[in-house]
Amino acid sequence: MAITVKKVDRNVDMTLWERMYIPEMICGMLITWRHFFLNFVGLFLEEVGGKHYRRIATVYYPEEMPIVPVAYRGRPVLVRSKNGIEKCVACGLCEAACPPNCISIIGGERPNGDRYPDSYVLDGSRCIFCGFCEEVCPKEAIVMSHDWKNLCEYNRSKMVYTKKELLYPERNLQKRFDVLRDKYFSAYRYRQSPNLKTEPKE
Amino acid sequence: MIGVVDLIEVLVKIGFIVVLLVGVFAPVLTWVERKQSAVMQDRIGANRADVFGFRIIGLLHAAADAIKLIFKEDFIPRGADRTLHTLAPIMALIPAILAFSVIPFGGTYTFGDREVNLVIANLDVGVLFVFAITSLATYGVFIAGWSSNNNWALLGGLRASAQMFSYEVTMGLTIIGLVMFYQSLSMVEIVAKQDIFWHWGIIWHWPAFILFLACAVAENKRIPFDAPEAESELVAGYFTEYSGLKFVMFWTAEFIEIVTISALCVVLFFGGHHIPFIADAKLIDCFSSLGANIANLVAMVIGVTVFVSKLAIIIFLQMTIRWTMPRFRYDQIMKLGWKMILPLSLIWIFVVGLGMLTNLIPRI
Repeated sequence: MAITVKKVDRNVDMTLWERMYIPEMICGMLITWRHFFLNFVGLFLEEVGGKHYRRIATVYYPEEMPIVPVAYRGRPVLVRSKNGIEKCVACGLCEAACPPNCISIIGGERPNGDRYPDSYVLDGSRCIFCGFCEEVCPKEAIVMSHDWKNLCEYNRSKMVYTKKELLYPERNLQKRFDVLRDKYFSAYRYRQSPNLKTEPKE
Repeated sequence: MIGVVDLIEVLVKIGFIVVLLVGVFAPVLTWVERKQSAVMQDRIGANRADVFGFRIIGLLHAAADAIKLIFKEDFIPRGADRTLHTLAPIMALIPAILAFSVIPFGGTYTFGDREVNLVIANLDVGVLFVFAITSLATYGVFIAGWSSNNNWALLGGLRASAQMFSYEVTMGLTIIGLVMFYQSLSMVEIVAKQDIFWHWGIIWHWPAFILFLACAVAENKRIPFDAPEAESELVAGYFTEYSGLKFVMFWTAEFIEIVTISALCVVLFFGGHHIPFIADAKLIDCFSSLGANIANLVAMVIGVTVFVSKLAIIIFLQMTIRWTMPRFRYDQIMKLGWKMILPLSLIWIFVVGLGMLTNLIPRI
């Protein structure tokens, strides 16, 4: 979609009504008063344990948890498929794509010939949550989860995640997969659509 | 010769005013400022301070602040003038409280053969006294800026003194029309003459009220006239180098000034302790079945309550202005003071004079 530019003329002369200041000031005060009285009643109801009556953006953090959007990039996790083994094939693309070099993989091979990561270490203290690893992964094996709690430690050595800590069940990540497919394959789907006459530019 | 009973009466009144200002209004206003701003900006506001799990809608933050500031180090910067640095907060706080001494917070009530007038000092020149005393607060502010040995503080002090001196003149002139109208400089007399609702200052002098309120906010150095303590420009202005209890004194002085200015508005424009359409004598008559003394007592309590509630409304108005308006530029403040409000107040004096000459404005 092309970016629409709206030109704003910032050198508009104020009308006499606006230059009188006081009527405009009263209008401004009416806005603050409206917000005040709408929230005021709900505030006291909430203090005595009522429900949410207000349009208040504040989240009482330790008691209440913020709802993160679906496209939120939290802690990167390895996907564990339904049969209990990781999807990762240790191709090393994420290792190569990672800007701060926080991923290190040692590959291995199963008796049936499938490759798997023998060790997969992600240094959480270096991760910049860019999401390149999930973008580059051919198997949808590493994705950014919605996990954002307890990511901080006093000691950097505690922030190094091994494979065991990184594994995450696939069924909890379904929303994220939808977002990913929508994001990275929508252009592809668009091109495949038979109804289109012109090819969209890449 | 002053009798013992007179002395006790005056002491009780002084005690009431000091407790009301320092003990009730100053801490509650810090709470109001936090909470009101939060609520009108769709936030919740400070509510985490608790005693045994009771939060009381954040009211305990005032106590928490007090405890924090009492135990803070009282810091005097190197190169600062120690004497003046210590003296400045006192010079800022005392005029703020002193100005309240001539403001009547109730009417005159008779107990037996004794008349109790709810004002600490019934001066004939009460209005002049208030302006004289509030202008003294400039010294505290300026000396604070001067003695801190800090460029921000000095700039803040300079701005504050220039601003307060300019608005002092204008504030006095906005009231002249009102003084002509009531033909008295005594606060008690002005309140007594507003017994009838149609004689309230706001009815006849609403342009003067707008001008007066603008000057009053400028005099208090609050947003939109807070150039002397502009956080984004001057750190904290004239009290940058103050900490601990001296900071509390500046801060209390600011809140008490708000209350004083609001009280002045109530007394001059909103009829003091009078309830609209109900005169004092009528109010006492309503309770006359309880006996003369108790009727007077009830009327006194009602009068003081009405006065304090009017005060609260005006303070709420000032707080709303504070959280709605952006700050003026410094030259805009000066232009507004000298080129707009001053001529307008002079024009208003002329209009009132003309009106009284032609009997369009009644004489009371």
